Amino acid sequence: MIKKELILQNPLRFLETETGDILLEGGFGAVLARAGVGKTAILVQLALNTILKGKKVLHISLDDPVKKLTLWYKEVFNHLTKQYESIETNSIWESILPHRFIMTFRVEGFSISKLEERLTDLIEQNIFSPQVIIIDGFNFKEDVRTSLSDLKHLAKKHSLYVWFSVKTHRHEEPGPDGIPAQILEVVDLFDLVIQLQPEGKEIHVKTLKGASADAEQCSLLLDPATMLLKDSESY
Amino acid sequence: MKNSIHKIRNIGISAHIDSGKTTLTERILFFTQRIHAIHDVKGKDGVGATMDSMELEKERGITIASAATYCEWLDHKINIIDTPGHVDFTIEVERSLRVLDGAILVLCSVGGVQSQSVTVDQQMKRYKVPCIAFINKCDRSGANPFRVIDQLKEKLGHNAVAMQIPIGLEVDFEGIVDLVTLKAIYFDGPNGEDVRIEEIPQNLLDEAMNRREELIDAASMFSDELTEAVLEEKNITEDMIVSAVRIGTLTRKMTPVFIGSAYKNKGVQPLLDSVVNFLPCPSEVENTALDLDTDEAPVILSNEMNKPVVALAFKLEDGQYGQLTYIRVYQGSLSKGDTIVNVRNGKKIKVGRVVRMHAEQMEDIEIIPAGYIGALFGIDCASGDTFVHPGLNLTMSSMFVPEPVISLAIFPKDNKSQINMSKALNRFSKEDPTFRTYVDHETSETIIEGMGELHLDVYVERMRREYATDVTTGHPRVAYRETITRRAEFNYTHKKQTGGSGQYGRVAGYMEPSPDEHFVFENKVIGGKIPTQFIPSCEKGFKQSMAKGPKMEFPVTGIKVVINDGASHSVDSSEMAFIAAARGAFREGYFKASAAILEPIMKVAVETPAEFQGAVMGLLNQRRGIIVGSQDEGPFCVVEARVPLAEMFGFSTILRSSTQGKAQFTMELGAYKQVPQSIAEELAKKREQEKKNTKP
Repeated sequence: MIKKELILQNPLRFLETETGDILLEGGFGAVLARAGVGKTAILVQLALNTILKGKKVLHISLDDPVKKLTLWYKEVFNHLTKQYESIETNSIWESILPHRFIMTFRVEGFSISKLEERLTDLIEQNIFSPQVIIIDGFNFKEDVRTSLSDLKHLAKKHSLYVWFSVKTHRHEEPGPDGIPAQILEVVDLFDLVIQLQPEGKEIHVKTLKGASADAEQCSLLLDPATMLLKDSESY
Repeated sequence: MKNSIHKIRNIGISAHIDSGKTTLTERILFFTQRIHAIHDVKGKDGVGATMDSMELEKERGITIASAATYCEWLDHKINIIDTPGHVDFTIEVERSLRVLDGAILVLCSVGGVQSQSVTVDQQMKRYKVPCIAFINKCDRSGANPFRVIDQLKEKLGHNAVAMQIPIGLEVDFEGIVDLVTLKAIYFDGPNGEDVRIEEIPQNLLDEAMNRREELIDAASMFSDELTEAVLEEKNITEDMIVSAVRIGTLTRKMTPVFIGSAYKNKGVQPLLDSVVNFLPCPSEVENTALDLDTDEAPVILSNEMNKPVVALAFKLEDGQYGQLTYIRVYQGSLSKGDTIVNVRNGKKIKVGRVVRMHAEQMEDIEIIPAGYIGALFGIDCASGDTFVHPGLNLTMSSMFVPEPVISLAIFPKDNKSQINMSKALNRFSKEDPTFRTYVDHETSETIIEGMGELHLDVYVERMRREYATDVTTGHPRVAYRETITRRAEFNYTHKKQTGGSGQYGRVAGYMEPSPDEHFVFENKVIGGKIPTQFIPSCEKGFKQSMAKGPKMEFPVTGIKVVINDGASHSVDSSEMAFIAAARGAFREGYFKASAAILEPIMKVAVETPAEFQGAVMGLLNQRRGIIVGSQDEGPFCVVEARVPLAEMFGFSTILRSSTQGKAQFTMELGAYKQVPQSIAEELAKKREQEKKNTKP
């Protein structure tokens, strides 16, 4: 029961297509924000939501150790479920764990070929086959078109989709449509780009690319205290 | 004046397995002229390190029991506790930390912050022990001290600041540059005993200046004087930096990092200097005791010699002269002929011989003043006992003791072994609170309990060696628990009429899961339906039932019992009757509350070279493990998982054979979780079988 409610609560659901997924197989999504605005928080919420729907998520972080990410998950989950009884939420939490796999790399040691190697390892040994991959902290600075294309190929092969976090910088002028310089080159590979924009005391979630008409009207806010999404209408 | 309290340091050396703690201690003892030759842990001379005095330690090359030793450096007395690194002996580490004022955290320059370092660091945090870090093994290939410093910041959240930089690394590791004095230090002579100080090599000058800048930046947080000097661009003296870093270290807001290679005798003397410079003396650490007269209110102890004595026995050892009790004095002083009281049992004890220990050898001394560590002879006590001056009723804060998770049946081979075995078990359980023993009344087997396979292995081995006891062991068993998963009501009447006065009592109420607590009892009976004098009997009855669950006879945990109704009889009700009624009520409610079996789930961390990562994950997966994640650390990676203890037996052998011996793992208790249905059924079947076997 609670599980269903939690799924329905997710304010990101307006981004979903008819199948209930936000992205399609082989699709790329990106969450853009400046440092410290809440990229990881959003990605963890996305991951939790996908897991609640019974999908498996591989969370790759290039910045934080496994311990820190586990904490992130626990924190976000506790915030989401604080109105429910702990005995029931505990069992949901237990059921989440087998659906999540955290992998951390060092930025300099990460490459798509390495990821592919690890992923095949996991799938072949029947340890974990994800439907969603989250890559937090991917380095968009260098020429990334080839590696991203490789990844796209990989994603299609294993029928999964990928979320990225992209760190933007204040001093960089965004290109047309507000797409920042870092991913301008490769924006055609992405199906959905959302940006977190702090305005005053609130953080607005804006869709820069690929939202349905319905989504454009509804503006989303991030509560800076909990870093959780909230509907602007309900406040 | 050697007795000045400011010239004492009680320090510990703790680290991950094989980071070289014992080697470092050995070098410290050599350079402080306590020993005159160096024996290495697995040295060719076969003597073994001085600190590893137990035969078994020498053989396995690991340190099991911590030994206390003492040395002198720059007119300061340093008491060193060499602590074991293996996670199964965590209680030894914890106990030593309780009596320490500061610690050296030894890290391997290749391995960096490994899983055990994390555990040790948490323990240090718990006891608020200030520490300095020593990055050892800088001569090994792949050494990178600055990566380790980054890990200290990222993984452990330390504000780690380099105090030295290396001159060359790996095979070219020659010496170090001290960032405070801005001098290069080399270590000459066959054992590195001649310290040669020179100017910094030209090629390192820039880096040294940059790192010094960072150091001053970090240190200026703790000293206005230094900040001022920096801002006004005045001359920054060495003393300013040292005193600022000292403040930062004592408040645990900064961790100065030193480097070297103990095995190659490099960097040990500067480390000793820093122990004297940066770690606290006993009077700089606040120690509190609990006053038993005022409901365990904390009392701050003072280091003054003329105050009544408060001391803690933190370690027992069985030597050839009888029981040796390691003791730390927190207040007052302890001398030969004093009378002290053991707070736990109120027994008065006369102090006989007072000694200072140096691993196996000892020196007789007259007095142990506050802040010192020493040992007493012929005192019967358990470790963790507090000794005080008669009239005081203080206890040192009770130490955190984890519950055992694994048990093993042991059988003596013959009668002589039987007698020796009980002697040995008596000793061990006094020495180590995580080691427990009891006799199972149903099977008449002697059961030992502990924190892991190796833990119990070592004790069985010690029985063989030290007590000449030949024992065979059964299969290790997991400490399962039972609990309930939903609320259930009970209403039970206990009635017996067999001539004379009968027994009558009715208890009604409900029980519900309470996952965070072991047992909660609440009385909501109103109107005296159960007379108040019988309420404690009800509680007793429920508590008794917790010892052996009705489902599988495992101990029960996590239950809240509420009684809200009942009945009594003016003649036939008694304490006995209500105990029996409560036990009946417990059984009645328990079967309705869908009881479940819980098993210990271990947090397992495997460190493996990257090429075996897949194999390791496969191994963990086969063992009902949930893999939390994998962390890439360059040449090797760490796989973190939660695995049921029942599946971990023999894991070390399998891990070794599938990774060419290159991977190692640590585990500790994570939580108790419900076992899956299929396993629960298997357990039930096994139980049936055993019952059949014991009842012919």
